[in-house]
Amino acid sequence: MTLSAGAIVRCGLLLLLAMVLQVSTFSQLDILGGNADITVLVVAALALYSGSVPGAIAGFCAGLLLDLALGANLGATSLVLTVVGYFTGRFMELRDPAHGLIPLPVALVSSAAYVLGVAAVQFMLDIGATVSLLAVREMVATILLNTILALPAFALVRRVIRPVLLYDPLERRRRRAAPQSSGPLGLRGLDVKRTQLP
Amino acid sequence: MYDKQVVRRRRAALAVLVALSIVLLTAYFGEGPSGLLHGLQRGAQEVFQPIETGVSRATKPFRDLVGWVGDNISAKSENDKLKKENADLREQVARGEAAENENRKLRGIVGLPRNPAYPDGVKPLTARVIARSPTVWSEAVQIDAGSSDGVRVDQPVVTNGGLVGRVSSVTGGTATVTLIVDASSAVSAQVLPDGKFGVLKPKIGNPNDMRLEYLDKNTKVEKGDLVITSGSTDEKLESLFPKGIPIGRVKRVDPDELDIYERIHIEPFADFKRMEFVQVLRANPQPDPDTEQAPNGVSGQGEETP
Repeated sequence: MTLSAGAIVRCGLLLLLAMVLQVSTFSQLDILGGNADITVLVVAALALYSGSVPGAIAGFCAGLLLDLALGANLGATSLVLTVVGYFTGRFMELRDPAHGLIPLPVALVSSAAYVLGVAAVQFMLDIGATVSLLAVREMVATILLNTILALPAFALVRRVIRPVLLYDPLERRRRRAAPQSSGPLGLRGLDVKRTQLP
Repeated sequence: MYDKQVVRRRRAALAVLVALSIVLLTAYFGEGPSGLLHGLQRGAQEVFQPIETGVSRATKPFRDLVGWVGDNISAKSENDKLKKENADLREQVARGEAAENENRKLRGIVGLPRNPAYPDGVKPLTARVIARSPTVWSEAVQIDAGSSDGVRVDQPVVTNGGLVGRVSSVTGGTATVTLIVDASSAVSAQVLPDGKFGVLKPKIGNPNDMRLEYLDKNTKVEKGDLVITSGSTDEKLESLFPKGIPIGRVKRVDPDELDIYERIHIEPFADFKRMEFVQVLRANPQPDPDTEQAPNGVSGQGEETP
């Protein structure tokens, strides 16, 4: 992603929209004993399409927005989402995923990392109450709901930030699949040379 | 794939952001409620409030639809439970009417004034829930009434069922309510009819199973007994909540648990997962039991409280 005013505005609006929808709608929807968390989905999608550093910055900003809006401990959510955004971006940089269903495992893993990370930070801040096993059910519900929402959420994020991306992983996959000339010896040694289709 | 400079820059970015988060967290814990970061937070809440209110209202049909589907799924078991609860309540109403009748006669004899559920000088204000924390680790909601409506920090908040929490921070047009199921919450409570005192604490992740702790081992308590706020007036440790606000009913009493850990299990009246409206019990210098409406057109007490 190029660092331009357009990129900052697009990412900022996406994060703001995700935060507002999260606190005023998705947090109040009780499904399967938990609720979806679209903030982490948007951060993971931004990181997947734009890389580790933009992912970490998006995570930091999203966490800050959430903590500011809810009066929560400032910095706690930022810390977790920064790490989630960074490592989702690193996954993209190292593995170069191109499959159309890649949002599903990415959403699953990033959501799991997020809910576990938030729990770990809260334990470090010394919570003064006992924890029910139902908290685990709520965490699992969040992970499952996020995975279900992954495809539309990632598609929306991709659509919004596509004009400011250096390259689009999914588009590159299509380019690679196109037939091309194999060179004088062919793709597998003495293979017959393939011709370029019109 | 990358040269060393790119790798170094990338790691530096991560380190800076993580360090910044930790600095924010430390500074936030270190400063008081009037500190810079708390002030920044209140300012941000003030800015976000109109957007959150608009989105909350716009998406209400969607939330209702999801709630309706969920209600239909759980309607049968809920129906059986409600039938049983209805029978219990009928029995309690009969007992209550007899007790009230007796109470009236005795008060007439002794000449005592009537003791209302809420103390004099409390004026409820109904407000709409516009935002909610997304995790179980921090249970708080934001309402669309603030200091301009007379809402102040530490005022109790109730809903149609019973006690919900207390106001933890206020801006001009919004207030953050920390729920009694938040990890940091502790409410001094009393079990009726036995009258013994305890401290109500939450169990994170299960809002329908709270714990009443530090209870006398010899307490005679049964499943279904009413739990209310005790409203301690001790000068050293005065309770934030006025006496007599219903909290819930005794859900389970394990004699061994009561004997060893001095605790019982309480099911609160409030449905913390689905709260559209709440009432803030504001302090009012002139005793007036009337309910006011928040300036944004929220319905009043009579419509909300059964």
